[in-house]
Amino acid sequence: MTDLATQLAANPQSFVQCDYAAGFAVSAPERDQAQLEAARQRFAALSPRIAPLGRMAAENGITEINCWQDLAPLLFPHTVYKSYPLSFIEQGRFDRMTKWLGSLTTTDLSRVILDGVDTIDDWLRALEAGSDLAPIHTFGTSGKLSILPRTKAQLDLTVRINANCIRDFAPESGGQKRDLLVDHLPLISPSYRMGASSIARGMNRQAELYAGGQDNALFLYPDAWFSADVLSLAGRLRAAEARGEAGNLALPASLIARRNEFAAREASRGADMDRFFDEALHRFGGQDVFLFAVWPILFEWAEEGLKRGLKNVFGPGSILTSGGGSKGKVMPADYKQQIFEFLGFDRCLEFFGMTELMANAPKCEHGNFHFPPVVVPFLLDPDSGAMLPRDGRRTGRLALLDLLPESYWGGLVSGDRVTMAGFDAPCACGRHGPYLEPDIARFSDIKDGDDKINCAGAPEAHDKAIDFLLEQSR
Amino acid sequence: MSAAFKVPLLLRGEVIEADWVDFGGRRGGAQFSAPDLAAYLPRLPLTNPASLGELYALSLDEIIAFLGQLGERLVLAENPYLQEAFELSRQTSGLSDPILRYHYDMIPAYFRPQSVRDIAERTIGVDYLEGWVRQPTADRNAPPVSIRAVGSRAVHIIAGNVPVVGVTTVIRNAITRSDAVIKTPSNDPLTTAAIVRTMIGMAPDHPLTRHVSVAYWKGGDERIEAALYDPRRIEKIVAWGGFAGIKHLTQYLQPGLDLIALDPKHSGSLIGREAFADEATLQHVARRLAVDIGAMNQEGCVNARVVHVESGTDAEGIARARRLGELTFAALQALPQHLSTPHKAFDRELKDEIDALAFVDDEYTVFGGRHNEGAVIVSHSAGPVDFARQLACRVANIVPVDTVEQAVRSVNSYTQTIGIYPESLKQRLRDQLAWHGAQRLVSLGGATTLNQAPGPQDGIEPLRRMVKWIVDESGDEAALEAQALT
Repeated sequence: MTDLATQLAANPQSFVQCDYAAGFAVSAPERDQAQLEAARQRFAALSPRIAPLGRMAAENGITEINCWQDLAPLLFPHTVYKSYPLSFIEQGRFDRMTKWLGSLTTTDLSRVILDGVDTIDDWLRALEAGSDLAPIHTFGTSGKLSILPRTKAQLDLTVRINANCIRDFAPESGGQKRDLLVDHLPLISPSYRMGASSIARGMNRQAELYAGGQDNALFLYPDAWFSADVLSLAGRLRAAEARGEAGNLALPASLIARRNEFAAREASRGADMDRFFDEALHRFGGQDVFLFAVWPILFEWAEEGLKRGLKNVFGPGSILTSGGGSKGKVMPADYKQQIFEFLGFDRCLEFFGMTELMANAPKCEHGNFHFPPVVVPFLLDPDSGAMLPRDGRRTGRLALLDLLPESYWGGLVSGDRVTMAGFDAPCACGRHGPYLEPDIARFSDIKDGDDKINCAGAPEAHDKAIDFLLEQSR
Repeated sequence: MSAAFKVPLLLRGEVIEADWVDFGGRRGGAQFSAPDLAAYLPRLPLTNPASLGELYALSLDEIIAFLGQLGERLVLAENPYLQEAFELSRQTSGLSDPILRYHYDMIPAYFRPQSVRDIAERTIGVDYLEGWVRQPTADRNAPPVSIRAVGSRAVHIIAGNVPVVGVTTVIRNAITRSDAVIKTPSNDPLTTAAIVRTMIGMAPDHPLTRHVSVAYWKGGDERIEAALYDPRRIEKIVAWGGFAGIKHLTQYLQPGLDLIALDPKHSGSLIGREAFADEATLQHVARRLAVDIGAMNQEGCVNARVVHVESGTDAEGIARARRLGELTFAALQALPQHLSTPHKAFDRELKDEIDALAFVDDEYTVFGGRHNEGAVIVSHSAGPVDFARQLACRVANIVPVDTVEQAVRSVNSYTQTIGIYPESLKQRLRDQLAWHGAQRLVSLGGATTLNQAPGPQDGIEPLRRMVKWIVDESGDEAALEAQALT
């Protein structure tokens, strides 16, 4: 095996020390062998300590991972991180929430102090204060947030690997590489600085590591916490509306108590946006910056900016990272041009990712998403769930084994229908290893209605939830 | 390339097979093609309402006789149109073959003169359909008032989960002497077309044939809907099914256009403590519950989904609820084939939710749910699963409660049928349940099978609303003039 393969087999987290691009030069048999060895070790270490994994293994008679087929029955459903009953939250049973989350991780949660905790936000902060976790939550489908037991060290690792990707995957024209961890750039985020959403946590950490500190970062909401409670209410409200039952939704008293705080933020939204633009222009105008946001948020931002007559706001050496498609929002055909016109640069790295993954798949110049060697992608038959052969070009349900986390099980079946290739022939861009074609769809969208709240929908859903909160508590 | 199944446009007695456009069936199953309706749109609504008059040249007896003759031609083994519809439904429907066949075999029975007359009499009243009915009054000097139930021009957006919806629509349109444009669903675009095509074959120029059209367009197609849903062209929209679809329709509502929403509903069961009297009783209850869950593969709104059980919520209570769950799952697996089978297209999202319950096994016990066999989920506390609204494909949730009053509170206006055990509990709770929103109370086990008698349908009375109730008032001529003078 090459040094890289040997190193990844022994410790996938050491990928953070590697040339990110080198991962795409490893030959198929070596990559497979290294990944299988890493998977074998992860399973051996975690199955005795994570009860549901141990139980699934026992039920299927699997004692060790010797081939990928062994792994198929051990992939968790993507619903696992939202498998807690909502009633735990509604009844303020955060002891049971803690027990539930504790069953999915090896991280010690015994020192977490739950006195006075009666909201999700408080609980997430209590976990952070009393354990190694920096738990993250998703944006919630059908009213329920997934909550992942990511550790502080893993959060750090994720942000560093992302920097390596920016450095090595798509260098500037001329081949110049910029290591954001060393050569900092101001960070601009049209969102929250604080919160436990995957984006808020990532951006906050990026402000430290990419911008060199919070002083060199600009957030739309520098002091407000992106509330998981409001988000969860937004989701539940939307789900209840979809059933025609919005009026029956019961609100936790602790949330009602905070309604003024939310309402004040709503009222000052326009002023905050003005201040944000002002500061972006005056402090960082013309400078190279680092930006991360999903397309609809960027477009909203660009639209506001262009309306204010702002163009070419930042320096030509700036970097944008984005992803996620249009998220169901209707945007004009030239939305990207409008965004770049406003920003003043067009260097952009897009990703396919999900909160559950520690390393995302960057998009190459041919439009395909390439998984780094620390993530093993699989295709499952959408109906039977059987693992499809790992060759050729096939369409199916995406499943993943994230080899990075050492404290929770990284095997997961996604809700996405994808077309995957690259097992036996490299992509047109020359990179080896499995990649996803750009046509990615959620099974739930393919089936029929759309009750999803995703990152792009979140601000709007937030607003709606706050309106509801005010209405109900008046 | 055109799809294998052709869904013709049936336009007032004419069969149109041209301008084909391809459509995909639901569940990624069958595809079919249908004429592009935009080209025929001007001919779809009844532009001259006076031509409803030709329906009034027929007596109700003649209408009933016509429907009777139609029913005799709707025998699956003999009718090629129905056979084609059956073949397409095999691909698109959530019902597996033996259940589908059972429902197709039932079609002729709906058209029997006696059944049709019962519907007319019990939902509207034959005398109101046949003429002007003098209204009784306590005041002998009051001026006479007469009322007649008159047909209207309607678009029917029908559901496709069970074939009977199209059957019912054709019968209702005929007995109310209305004009119908029936929009078929992509999960059953052919069954209603087969019935109406048989009508065309039987008597293309018959007034009843010329006042029913069957069309497929993709729900939400603005080219069609903005033009059609206009009070100058139609008076009523009868919409079955999905919440999103009905919400979508509301944008077209305006004065002069009446929406008869046969809303999406969910049904449940309520089982009193008497069920746990002894093992034999529990077995009996489990079998009846399994029928309410599993019949028609739980594709109907009448099927039980959340089952409240007065077992108690302490450890012994939970154990009782689990025993009922175990027996119910076994009974579900043993249901006869014409009633229920493993689901052929088990809902993937639901499966993901069931799979996640393994991670909270303190909170729930799951019987089944491994493949497509169905499942009975027993909650270990008094709340249903968070995905209770998604329960389908023969998956039910047993929720233990300490008192039935807890269960009554979960009933709302989206609750259709509640199957109840024992009978005395139904007697005791029926007013309360009605106040909360329940629309139909049945003996446990009868949710899907006691549904044959003509009734008000979910408290909505669609037939009474499909007709217009027209009033004729007469006054004394001299007295009427005198109003102007004094």
